[in-house]
Formats: sequence, C-alpha cells, structure tokens
Amino acid sequence: MNLKVEQGETVAIVGENGAGKTTLVKHVTGLLKPTSGVVRVKGVETTKASTAQLSRSVGVAFQNPDHQLFSESVYEEIAFALRNFGFSPQLVEKRVTWGLELFGLEEYRESSPLVLSGGEKKRLTLACILAWDPDVVILDEPTVGQDAIQKERLAGTIKLLGAAGKTVVVVSHDIEFLWPIQPRVVVMKSGRIVADGPASTLMLQKDVLEGARVSQPELVTFYQELSRRPEAPFVDPSEAERWLK
Amino acid sequence: MAEIVRAENYSFRYSESKKWAVKNFDLSVRSGEIIVLAGPSGCGKSTLLRSVNGLIPHMYAGQTEGSMSVDGHVVADTPMSVLAQEVGLLFQNPENQIFMFSVERDVAFGLENLGVPRGEMRERVDRAMRLMGVTELAGRAPHELSDGQKQRVALAGVVAMNPKLIILDEPTSLLDPKTALELVNQLERLRRENGTTLVVVEHRLDLLVTVADRIVVMNEGTKALDGAPRDVLFGDLAGGYGISVPAITRVQKLLARDGKISADRLLSAREMAGLLGGAGPR
Amino acid sequence: MMWLSGGFVFRKGNSVYHRLDPRVKLLISALLFTTTLLVRSIFQLGLVIAFAIAISAVARVLKRVGRTMMLTATFSAFIFAVNIFFTRNLETSAIYAIRFIAIVVSTSLFFITASPDELEQVMKTFRLPRDVVFAFVTAVRFIPVMMLDTLQIMDAQKSRGLELEKGNLFQRVRNMIPVLIPLVVNSVIRSGELAEAMESRAYGAVAKPTSLVQYKARFADRVTALAAVLLFAAGVYSFYFVLPTYLP
Repeated sequence: MNLKVEQGETVAIVGENGAGKTTLVKHVTGLLKPTSGVVRVKGVETTKASTAQLSRSVGVAFQNPDHQLFSESVYEEIAFALRNFGFSPQLVEKRVTWGLELFGLEEYRESSPLVLSGGEKKRLTLACILAWDPDVVILDEPTVGQDAIQKERLAGTIKLLGAAGKTVVVVSHDIEFLWPIQPRVVVMKSGRIVADGPASTLMLQKDVLEGARVSQPELVTFYQELSRRPEAPFVDPSEAERWLK
Repeated sequence: MAEIVRAENYSFRYSESKKWAVKNFDLSVRSGEIIVLAGPSGCGKSTLLRSVNGLIPHMYAGQTEGSMSVDGHVVADTPMSVLAQEVGLLFQNPENQIFMFSVERDVAFGLENLGVPRGEMRERVDRAMRLMGVTELAGRAPHELSDGQKQRVALAGVVAMNPKLIILDEPTSLLDPKTALELVNQLERLRRENGTTLVVVEHRLDLLVTVADRIVVMNEGTKALDGAPRDVLFGDLAGGYGISVPAITRVQKLLARDGKISADRLLSAREMAGLLGGAGPR
Repeated sequence: MMWLSGGFVFRKGNSVYHRLDPRVKLLISALLFTTTLLVRSIFQLGLVIAFAIAISAVARVLKRVGRTMMLTATFSAFIFAVNIFFTRNLETSAIYAIRFIAIVVSTSLFFITASPDELEQVMKTFRLPRDVVFAFVTAVRFIPVMMLDTLQIMDAQKSRGLELEKGNLFQRVRNMIPVLIPLVVNSVIRSGELAEAMESRAYGAVAKPTSLVQYKARFADRVTALAAVLLFAAGVYSFYFVLPTYLP
C-alpha cells in the first residue's frame, strides 16, 4: 500500500467493515507496525517512537468513548492527555476551559464523565484530543450511532478543523455524511486501496464504488438520473450542488 | 386487521427521575405493519420500546400512567414469560445478546428457558435459522461471526419464539451500509413470509423509507408526527424534529418549490430511475 | 495476558481428546492434578508431566501447552527461590516449583479442550444452581471479548500519551488504572445489556429449562474414564510402594 497525505488535507477513507480502514490508521500512531515497508509521520518513522510520542502530533478519536473515559471529572478527563504530554498547570487550565467551551460542556466541568449521554461522551472525546492541538486529527467511524443533529455538528467541526489548517482523516462507511464535506476519498477493499481521488469525481463512479461494496451517495445517484430528464436545469452533479447552494 | 399494540395516553417516569421519559403517548400498531420510530437522541424511543416488550415495568421500576397493551394483554399485568412470546426485542449491540458458544444453541436459548420439549425445539430452531439464512452457521462460535451475521443469529433467536411483533432498537447502527441493507431486506422478508409486525427504531431513515408503512416521530417523550413516509418526510414539519430527512427529499422539495420539476414525491433515487424508463439523455 | 489466553481460553479442535465427553476430560484433569499432589520425588513428578505432555500431543495442543509451561516457569523460578531461601533443601524446593507447573498444565488442559457449552454440561451434572452455571458460562464466553476490549482500551489510552511500557513497577501499576476502570465500566454496561436480553428471552420462566443438545456418554468415553482411573490407581500404588522416593 502506498499513501501520501499532505498537511492540511481532509481525507476520507471508505470501504466496508473489514476492508482494513481501521488497521491502516492504527499504523499512523504506531499502534501497529508494518510487516514490511515504512510508515512515516512528519518524516519520523513510526518504528522509531512510542505511540505516546507520536500521538503528540496525531490525535486519534476511536469509535467507542467508553473505551477511554475513566477520570473523576470531565475536567480531569481532558487534562489527562495534556499532563501526559507535559503541559504546564497554567496551560492545562487554559486548554481544558477552551475545550469545554468549544464543545458546550462547561456545565459538566466537575461531573463524572460516566453520567454524560452518548452524544456528549463523543463530544468529550473530541475535546480531549483537540485540547492538545495535534496537527493531524484522525476520526474512526465518528458517525456511528449519531442522530441528525449530532452529525451536522460533527460535519461542522470537521470543516472548522480543515479551515484551521489541520490535516483531517475520517474513516467512515457513512457515505451520505461525507458527501457534503467533499473530501479527498480513498476507497479500500480487502486491505488494498482501489481508488483515490476528490469526492466530486470519485463519487460519480458507481462501478468503482460498488466493487468495494460502498454505496454511492443517494444525492449523486439522484442528480445523475435527474440530469437525464429533459427539463433538468443542469448537466452534472457538481453543477447541481452549486445551483442548489 | 388485528391491533397488535395499543398505547393510550401512556406516560412513564423512571423512579430516580423527575422528568417524564414518555408523555401522553398514543400509538396503534396493526398486524403486519412495519413502523419506523424516529427522533433525536434522548427523545424517549428506547423507553417506549421497553414499555412495549415489558422490560418496563417488570425490570425497570417507575411511575406509569395511561395504558399499554400488546395483542390484548395489558403489559403491566402480564409476566415476562408470556410477553416474551408475543413481543421480541432485538438490541443494538450484536455481541451482547448472544449467550451461547454455538449459534444453534443460542437460537434455542429462549425455547430452553420456556421448557419447550426437544423435538418441537429442534423444529423451531431449524425453521428460524432457515428464515434468517444462518443454517450453515449452526455450529459456529460467536467470535467467528461478522457483526452482520451476529445480528441475524440474534434475530433468529427472537424469531424462534414465534412472537407476533418484533421491535428493534437501532439494529443497524454498528453495521456498514451494505450489511445494514441486507438486514433490512431480511426484516421485509420476515413480514412477507411470516406475517410478523415490526417496529424499528432507526436514525438512518433512508434505509427503511421504502419498506415502512408508517413513520412515527418522537420529540421529548411525546409523539410529534405519525403517518405514511411520504406524508411525514415531505410535510413541512419534518425538518424541525432533528430526524435525518433523506437528502433527496430535501432537494426535491426545493426543486418543486421553484417549479423546476413536477411535484413527484420520490423517496429514493431508484424510484426516480424507475420513472425515467423511456426518457432519453439530454 | 498471553499466559491467560494461551493457557485457559478454549479453542475448537477435532482431536480424539476434544471429542471425549466433557466429564471424562474433567476426570482426567482432576486425576492429573491429584497425582501431582501425591508424588514424592522429582522422578515421579517428571513421569506425571511426561504423561500430561503425551495427552497434549494426542489432543494436538502440544504447542500451546508447551508455551504455557514456559510462561509459568518464570513464576516457578520465584517459588523455587523462596523455598531455597527458607528451607535450604534443593530437592523439596524443586518439587514445589515443578509441581506448580504441573498443576497449571493439568487445569489448563481441561479449559483449552472444553467449550463453555461443555463446561455448562459438566456444571449441570454437579447439580449446581442454574443461575450459578449460567453466570459462570456467560463469563467464560465473554473472556475473549473482554480481552479484545482490553487491547482496544490500551490503544485508546496510549493515543492520549499514556506510556504503558516505561517506568518502575509502581508507575506501571498506576498506569494500568486508565485501562482497568474503562474495562470494569464496560463490564457493568455489558451485564446490563445482557440482563435485558435475557429477560426478553424469558430467562427464568420455567424452573427446569429443557436442552437442545444432550451429552450422552459413549462406550469410548466410559472406557477412557475407566482406563484413567485404573492408571491413576496404578500410578499412586507404584509411587508409594514400587518406585524409589529419591534418585540413587
């Protein structure tokens, strides 16, 4: 497998469950080491540093918040990683407060993280990661179990991170969620990359997507069918998107 | 058609809580229907489901008002052993509803609990596995199964108990879209071949919108909308309740408002393609 | 963790040994276990271990048992050292140390060849209360799941800067807290979900549940059981009256 991600890119890695998406991203922080070949993050080989060290610049949000939360309070939870990375107490205070505000969790500052609802827990894990300001943010299946409002908020956060110059990698099988974000799309099947390109072109190639057992966004299918109608006002899906906006 | 679920002005509050999780809820589900229950997280969907199958009030204590009955049985007065044979419940996490180390023994779990004699049990287990397409997996252990397979096995275990109604709590939430679609097809087949009534709690409306008879939208414990999918999704109120209105619905509404296309209320791109059979390319 | 997984987690197998009635498998392990407590010399102990290895070979689990023995050896060395320190007797210290390995191997042999369903069968034979049997079997069924959870939790916490491989003993133990708490919390959540599923499948509806499968002892099982008991009796007799208690 050969893959290069530049600073500031927003990349979506799509494919069915078992295609190897999570296995791939685990290599970025050295949770998995390559059997052959090299994985480099900002020029540093992942075999030469511990996961804790690599995580200073790569924040990974795993799917299940219940695999992380353990502190006595939400404050302590966000502070955990900051302290591990050697932030001074004053900086910890600043960053935790910032994280709580950004994700609307101030009222839970002293509460136990375990009493939060599912959606709040997901926001908390994101806050924990962004608090230490990594250059790269990897989200593993962030939309699983989320309702419409939560997904909208998430899409907004991803766009915000992109605008702030961060490199964002989203591993997801939720194609409908990814379409409006218009990221670079990497399609995986059986451990291999079978396609790599911008959403605006890749999502139109139904056969490529079907081959990897990935569905095409309903909107794209709809636009393609619609553009065949005599009274359709546009020719292709990107024109349709622009016209709609 | 017989009425399988009847909730009249039903309200429930958990004993440690001051807030009513479900308030003044009216619901009527007729035999053979497929109902989708939608609503934002925390709106009370899970509480309502558990009120139908009896976990509330038999396992979770609290205060009830109004009435809830299933196939003529008043839920609060009927023991779980009877209710379990009327209503099956499939949960979100495939892993935490498989108990036994082999698939066929897990499908038999409910029947063993009910003391069903071995001969009859064998027949029912085989039939349930065949219905759910998991017969070849009979001797496998749970860790050898994919998540989609685990959900089908758990569902087989529920089907083996022959309930008239099966309720499902976000059954596809941990599955990828293709596997989720396969499960939905399986559900549709259950209704078609077995006459089972289904109530599915689901965020991903686009999956169920073409097979559902009705969509019921909940908001903060009360019923906000209740009607056929086209009426609910194309209605003006749909967007206000935090449900995932399929993107093409929103787009069609906009296009129709501007007079760009005729007001066909299509629920999927496939329906679109079906209508375009004869029209040539532009 | 490798020790637990390799030594006590069931994996499917098709050998003659695996196909024995689980009660016979339990009998064999119990007899091995008892024999290790009755030996009186290193030579006799060696015989018992050789026998256990032979059974492992028949069951085609030799590699796993071998690995378990090696991993247990490190703790055995500790036992040896403590005994030497207090008794200054080479022979008895060696017996204690090696006996520990033999005990682990004899119990491991049962757990790696008997599935949770077979465990349930055996516990039912002992007329244990249904709830106890169910709780135990369910716990065993979820061991591999919990092990996977542990790995995922460790991944998540390492990704927050937790160093699990550095530091002195005290630091390493303290660093396990962010792993243990989510594990416990997840177990509690899991129990709740399992309870809901159990209730929904009418658990406890009837005092005497029926069973889909029935374990009937075959002729081969009975013969094996008899052979095991006879061997055990012969072995103990020879240990006490025939074989020397100290090497010449």
